[in-house]
Amino acid sequence: MALIMNVMYAKAIGITQGIIGREVNSDMWLSTVLGILQGVAVAYIVAKLMQYAPEFSMVEMAGKLIGTWAGKGIAVLIFLFFLGTFATVMVTFVYHLMDYFLPEAPTILFVVAALMVGLYGAYHGLEVMSRMAFVGVFSMLTLNILVLFGSVREMDVRNILPVMDSGLVPTLWASRHFDTDWAFAVMLIALLLPHVKRSARLARVSAVSVGLAGISIVMWPIMESTVLSAEATSQYIVACMQLARSAHIGLFLHRYEMIMIAFFATSSLIQVMMCLFCASLSASKLLGLKDYRPMLLPTGAILGAFAYWIVADHMRAMEFTAHQWPLISLPIVLGLPLVIGILYLFFKDKLKANQTPS
Amino acid sequence: MTEQKKKDAVFTSQLQDNTETLDGILEFSTDLLRREFVIHADSNRHGICYLTDGLVSNTDIQLILKTLLLYGQAINGNWQQSLDSFEQIKQQLMVNCSIRTVTKLDDGINGILSGETLVLLDGYAEGLLITTKAWESRSITEPATDTVVRGPRDGFTENIRTNTSLVRKRIKDPQFRLEAMVVGNKTRTDINIAYMKGTVKDGLVEEVRQRLQKIDIDGVLESGYIEELIEDAPLSVFSTIASTERPDKVASALLEGRVAIFVDNTPFVLLLPTFFWQFFQASDDYYSRYWVGSFFRIVRYIAFLISLMLPSLYVMLVSFHQEMIPSMLAFTIASGREVVPFPVLVEAIMMELAFELMREAGLRMPKPVGQAVSIVGSLIIGQAAVQAGLVSPFMVIVVAVTGIASFAIPNYSASIAIRLLRFPLLIASGMLGLLGFAAVFFMVVIHALSIRSFGESYLAPAAPFRPSDQKDIVLRFPWWSIKRPPSFSKEQRRQGKNTMPKPSGGQSGGPERG
Amino acid sequence: MINRTMLLAVSLLMLIMSSGCLGKQEINDLAIVTAVGIDNGENNHVKLSVQIVRPADARGQTGAPSGGTGEPIYSIQATGRTIFEAARNLARFSSRRVYWAHNFVIVLGEGYARKGIADMIDFFTRNHELRMTTWVVVTPEEAGQVIATITGMEVVPGEAIDKLFRYNQIVAEAPGTNMMRLQESFLAEGTEPVLAKVQLRPRGISNKNPDQFGSLDQVVLSGAAVFEGDKMKGWLSPSEAKGLLPFIEEVDSEIMVINCPDDSNNHATLEIKSLEQRVKTRFVNNQVKVQVAQTANANLVEMGCEQPFTEIKDQMTLALKQKLENQVLKTASAAQKKYKSDIMKIGQVFHNTYPLEWKQIHSEWNRYFEKAEITVSADAKISSPVLKIQRFVKGDGLSLKSK
Repeated sequence: MALIMNVMYAKAIGITQGIIGREVNSDMWLSTVLGILQGVAVAYIVAKLMQYAPEFSMVEMAGKLIGTWAGKGIAVLIFLFFLGTFATVMVTFVYHLMDYFLPEAPTILFVVAALMVGLYGAYHGLEVMSRMAFVGVFSMLTLNILVLFGSVREMDVRNILPVMDSGLVPTLWASRHFDTDWAFAVMLIALLLPHVKRSARLARVSAVSVGLAGISIVMWPIMESTVLSAEATSQYIVACMQLARSAHIGLFLHRYEMIMIAFFATSSLIQVMMCLFCASLSASKLLGLKDYRPMLLPTGAILGAFAYWIVADHMRAMEFTAHQWPLISLPIVLGLPLVIGILYLFFKDKLKANQTPS
Repeated sequence: MTEQKKKDAVFTSQLQDNTETLDGILEFSTDLLRREFVIHADSNRHGICYLTDGLVSNTDIQLILKTLLLYGQAINGNWQQSLDSFEQIKQQLMVNCSIRTVTKLDDGINGILSGETLVLLDGYAEGLLITTKAWESRSITEPATDTVVRGPRDGFTENIRTNTSLVRKRIKDPQFRLEAMVVGNKTRTDINIAYMKGTVKDGLVEEVRQRLQKIDIDGVLESGYIEELIEDAPLSVFSTIASTERPDKVASALLEGRVAIFVDNTPFVLLLPTFFWQFFQASDDYYSRYWVGSFFRIVRYIAFLISLMLPSLYVMLVSFHQEMIPSMLAFTIASGREVVPFPVLVEAIMMELAFELMREAGLRMPKPVGQAVSIVGSLIIGQAAVQAGLVSPFMVIVVAVTGIASFAIPNYSASIAIRLLRFPLLIASGMLGLLGFAAVFFMVVIHALSIRSFGESYLAPAAPFRPSDQKDIVLRFPWWSIKRPPSFSKEQRRQGKNTMPKPSGGQSGGPERG
Repeated sequence: MINRTMLLAVSLLMLIMSSGCLGKQEINDLAIVTAVGIDNGENNHVKLSVQIVRPADARGQTGAPSGGTGEPIYSIQATGRTIFEAARNLARFSSRRVYWAHNFVIVLGEGYARKGIADMIDFFTRNHELRMTTWVVVTPEEAGQVIATITGMEVVPGEAIDKLFRYNQIVAEAPGTNMMRLQESFLAEGTEPVLAKVQLRPRGISNKNPDQFGSLDQVVLSGAAVFEGDKMKGWLSPSEAKGLLPFIEEVDSEIMVINCPDDSNNHATLEIKSLEQRVKTRFVNNQVKVQVAQTANANLVEMGCEQPFTEIKDQMTLALKQKLENQVLKTASAAQKKYKSDIMKIGQVFHNTYPLEWKQIHSEWNRYFEKAEITVSADAKISSPVLKIQRFVKGDGLSLKSK
């Protein structure tokens, strides 16, 4: 649950808001809310779907249903999904740290450092990561509180009015950017459910955690547009840092974004870890390995190289996260469960037949 | 092969043979005493006592000899008839309370070397081991580490029996168990495993026993040997087994369902499983009122954060992220650094090293000299170095605060672990700024999250989060609110309901009883 | 497992070592800028003046001895075609790297402001070093001169301007315009930027020749500059700026001097403790109507009137109301008639009330604004005469009437 909250948070508060802001101005928070509602629904459906065969993850399920090769195909698809997600996560991580703190350091350093920590974490497995995620939730809360403290004086409600200025359809359409953030969470549910013990209540839990993450995220667009104004938010690549930059406690502490970024980095690094973990999990499924650990290093290399290529150029990175990625990731994340669900309906008996002997 | 033979050798009925073999093994040692005697006037039976001087009490020896010589002489009738085995001698003749018969030579030798007296008689293929252990030991004094303001002043000594008795005195429960074990092929160190049956988690004692049995080492001189040989994360800087000198701490740990390992010849007792947060809990917390206890605990957590991160944060801020320093402060820092020729990182490492040097020198020197060292050191660092323009006054403050904070952590080994972690963090943040700091810090956190201590997660109950155990972590809740021991213990009940004290029925009398 | 962890650790270490200390700058290698002035230079160049703190002299001797001229600041100037070029040109003679993060204030010369400040806004918001709470002001003088003036009680002049802004609410004659608000009002539709005005006035007394009062220039913060788009249109007088304040920020405190009901030579002073303002817009017959409602709560802080306070309280309240209304109207007329620029955020209010209509007219909003009918209704209350009830008890021999 903590994991789900974490994986949504980091990118959603900053980069996504900038992108949405560019499309729908002051309705960005509404767009986010809509996105969250969609996320909750999809998370619930997917988790529910997974419950039909709790001991199989999506890949295994597909493999059982329509044969090994199709299962491998789906594993490739999932791997690609995490490849892309990893790139967007890295975009978030690198631009937060590099542009605002260490503009002179080379990009590769950030990618490699994040990769190191990510590999180290992923190596220790799901349990450690979920504990880490708990720490991450804590730091998310702290971050929210901190930024609230620093910005509440500057808030101007007039900035987010009038509601629905851009009209319902554009707002809804803009929420696709946010959808990519929960897409990660949904994929996580689909892939990791067999690893979690209490499967019974999982559908509700995952929906609730997507919702909770949403609540802590939606604070950001509201703050961003009230404090900075939506126009200003949309100017920046990393909007939340702009908010953090503007926050100040009292007259003495002019800037404390570094404290905030430290908390933010927790959540961001957990995303990195999860990405690596899931990608190598699907890679190991692809190759039919029992353990995902041998796949960690090669996966890390592939993911890292791709992410570096994306991140190295700001314009390419923004182009990718803003325009190409939603169009790739959403079909995957919505289509996969759908396909599997339909397949399940058709081949239910086959699965049962497979289950009984084993 | 011969080793094995020696081990299995038994006493023969010929006293001559026995003494020859024994002398052959023990050879000559100045503290090894042999006392020959003759008992039973009729049969003129020869006997011999072996004992180690210094390990035995003279009065006990005299008592043995008195019994044997005086009463043994005076036994009437046929010796063989009245006392035909050591068992009978033990039951009818000897007056000492702790006596056992041994048949193996090896057991006899071990007995002699650990302060027992071996009595051999001609015609018996057995030996009689009489416990006469008594040696000089330090009396019970206040422990040097883990000092408290309020709380018992007794500390463990080097004598294992004294130590266990100190705990036994505190827990008068039949469920309190002590299991003996001997570890170390040459030192044959006594080890006791203490636990509360019914409170301790299933399987924990077996696990401890197994790990102890696996130890195959020539000697165990301190509990640190044991700690390193049975811990879960041998590569980690964190210690996953706590040690203490305080019997009350051991007693409280036992009541929480932990296991204590007593090791002879050391006042440090091991406690396990251990959680990281335990290192910030002093016994004072539980004895002072809970407001005070909670406050001190928070202070200690702050001390932990400072001692781990302050120098790295300072270095990071001053050499990378100057924009984060409040302006006025930035000017002050800049003016202090105006004449310092080194980069901040070098300055910080230099000062940290100087501080560690001072600490170490002060510790190792004879006490009076140690004080001189610390005075001279603080003068050099505090005054002269700044005056000479070698370091900035700010750095002195940072290092000093860090040092003080690290002393505020009650557990010495935890304090050292944190001190060790400080350096990689410092170097990383001095080289890469925030990125380095974040990366190393997360590595450390992930590492700490991944290790376990005897089946329990090291960072529990914070992560994994256990809501029921939160009453005794960051804050110490009042005793009457802590209804259950920590969740790793099997015991469910710590105290009854409604134990919050209140005056009974409007009377101004004392607190309710019952 | 051991090997792999070791490998990871070692490779990370190598990485750190090989990359070295990239982007590292010791704090004492930085020239910390505390104020920036931007003027027009020759040949369409930008003239950038910066005030750099000399920490050793600004902070006195902390520990180690350090020499110096004793001046706490070091002001330098450079020109360039763009601000960034000018900033880089500073490096030609600044021995340390110019560091912007602690900048307190950006002073724009009037000439530069009239030419357009879009470049400036872009430069200062794009750079991560700059804090968003930097004050932005416009001066009719040469900005470089304002920058270099040692002023106030603070050692660092930039700090002095910073503190002028912080305690600005005591006079409340200039808006607290920082970078964040400037950017917001610059980018937002339906509102135009306003910047505070600073100027040099001989107000200080030199220690050396105290008889010449006002021989030293001081930086005075009062009034405001009105922009349309990124170009400055003109000045608002202090009293106009005062009327503008409730439209753009929270007003904490403000004073009002009103005439006594019986004698207009005598004055009573009221300190406004809270001022709430609600702006409503209506759209009738293709014309914008603006209703401004103010609720003020004031304390009597200085009483120059003869009559007892209780008797003239109502009259004074009325006077206060009128004063408040006039103030707003004055500002409104300046904005509408003189500068034709919506500095009062009326457009934003209108946008919120009439989102659909806004879409049609927002491109020519200033035309509508110009013609908008602004009505003000103030509601005031004098709640407390503070410590005393009456001015003086009659017959105590102290009558200030003669004054």
